[in-house]
Amino acid sequence: MNPSIRSSVRRHPEGITIGLVILISVAFAVITQGGWLSIGNLQSISQVTAVLAIMAFGEAMVIATGEIDISVGSVSGIGALTFLGLAPVVGSGLALLAAIVCGVFIGALNGVFVALLGLPSLLVTLGTLFLFQGIGYAVTSGFSFAATDAVRQEFIYNTVGGGYIAGVNVAAIWALIVLVVLQLIVFETPIGNRILAVGGDAGSSFSRGVSVTKIKFGVYVVSGALAAFAGVLDAAFIGYADGSFGATMELSAIAAAVLGGCHLTGGRISLLGTLFGAFMLRGIQSFLILLAVEPQWYILVVGLIVVLASVADRALTRFAIKH
Amino acid sequence: MRTTDGAADSRQPLISIKNVSLSYGNFKALTDVSVDFFQGELVGLVGDNGAGKTTLIRIISGINPPTSGEVYFDGEKITKFHPKKAMDLGLECIQQSIGICDNLSVGRNYFLGREPVKRVLGLPFLDKKKIREASAKVVHDFGLRDTVDVDDEIALLSGGEKQTFKIARAVTFRNRVIIMDEPTNHLSVRERAHVNELAVQLKQQGLLVIYITHDIFQIHRIADRIVIMENGRKVTDVPRDAMSADALEGIIRDGGRAPSKGPKVA
Repeated sequence: MNPSIRSSVRRHPEGITIGLVILISVAFAVITQGGWLSIGNLQSISQVTAVLAIMAFGEAMVIATGEIDISVGSVSGIGALTFLGLAPVVGSGLALLAAIVCGVFIGALNGVFVALLGLPSLLVTLGTLFLFQGIGYAVTSGFSFAATDAVRQEFIYNTVGGGYIAGVNVAAIWALIVLVVLQLIVFETPIGNRILAVGGDAGSSFSRGVSVTKIKFGVYVVSGALAAFAGVLDAAFIGYADGSFGATMELSAIAAAVLGGCHLTGGRISLLGTLFGAFMLRGIQSFLILLAVEPQWYILVVGLIVVLASVADRALTRFAIKH
Repeated sequence: MRTTDGAADSRQPLISIKNVSLSYGNFKALTDVSVDFFQGELVGLVGDNGAGKTTLIRIISGINPPTSGEVYFDGEKITKFHPKKAMDLGLECIQQSIGICDNLSVGRNYFLGREPVKRVLGLPFLDKKKIREASAKVVHDFGLRDTVDVDDEIALLSGGEKQTFKIARAVTFRNRVIIMDEPTNHLSVRERAHVNELAVQLKQQGLLVIYITHDIFQIHRIADRIVIMENGRKVTDVPRDAMSADALEGIIRDGGRAPSKGPKVA
């Protein structure tokens, strides 16, 4: 087999995802007679893609170390509620800060249990998923938080999700900024090299002097902060949030990362692929809406795609890595 | 230069292990081990499976802290056990089963934990040019295939090539101590001879070389001193010339007791 093809598959796992995205984009455009590809629909897809992508980027960082964070949906909900709950009182600047601090705190909590105490990340973050979803429901107790007219006028509110640039919600810009920053950190810095090393082989990394505990703790903090920020971006776009905000988002975030070429075993991730993974999921969702398919079917489709992606992923990895 | 008068050395040891024990729960992996290692000597650390050789070097290289006892490096007591600390003190360890991350490139593995950086706007970015050039030079100096691309994942190397890579990395970053845990595993006969020559050269350059092996005959030819472990205890610590390889093998075979048969002590 041609070694250069193998080498490209190995180094650019997102290639397949990007190809698929182009394929389904064409298919969706044709089937909906251009409706899916309309400017309005693409603008709408870009907002939901951006919010999901930012969460999925944080997820990808955790996956890079060989762990998982399924609390991100609840964390985004807490971020949204903190932001909208506080903004009318203290202004959107401080509310944003408080939301991010909440995300950092929950991430640090996950980090303590996973990195310091060595507990299984699936169980720990399942616990915090329920814990903070419960807190979200308790705080709102059936009501919702909404942005007041005064808050909607604030510059920061419009910068973090309320506003548009050239018809595109600012969330898309934020997603690109986060993508570039994380891409540089993961692939161009010593910290990034160690993050990938820990996911590849934690014991070997430790023997080379890498502090596995600090690295794992760090990625959970990043994941928490980004999930909370994604919640803020979405809350400012929608303008209100209740206790169910962010529910099941963790599934889409993990799916986006896996679709994008991140290996759940750790050590191999693609952030660009994750962006396209998020776009694919949101594009499919939008397609189903245009076809007037019941929204419940979206979850089924996501499930199906993830299962197929894992099978394809393993086949591709075997192809790329084996001698 | 140091002679082979072994344990009776009056100089300050480079590494001094004093009454070290290590337990995993109820299992005692090491019991009250005391041993000194001196600069410029090649010490063979020998014993059967489960004797505690690897456990001892895991403590020396900072991977596990001892349950009790003390470790001194150059006269200074070690209070914080971490591989980073050991590397900073100038200790390189070729571990038997760990030390390589398969998902990283050859170059990134080479510099893992001590990545060279270049500052851009004050921020530390990987110096990829240096990573590529320095690792390529080392890899080729140590005779790996010319087709090995240091930008490619190390998973593509064979077991022997990975072992050669680990040795190359330890040797190039050498400072004061090199520990080799079964370094000749996965290697061909010719490569084995090369590794053994290398160990002697490093010693002659003034390094402390601790060489762990099952093969008493192989190590007896090159070591200055032989330390035998059995069941987590040190049972023998003699200059090479004090005992023949056959006698030492007898000690290992008899589970650490004095040889009941076989050749007499030389």
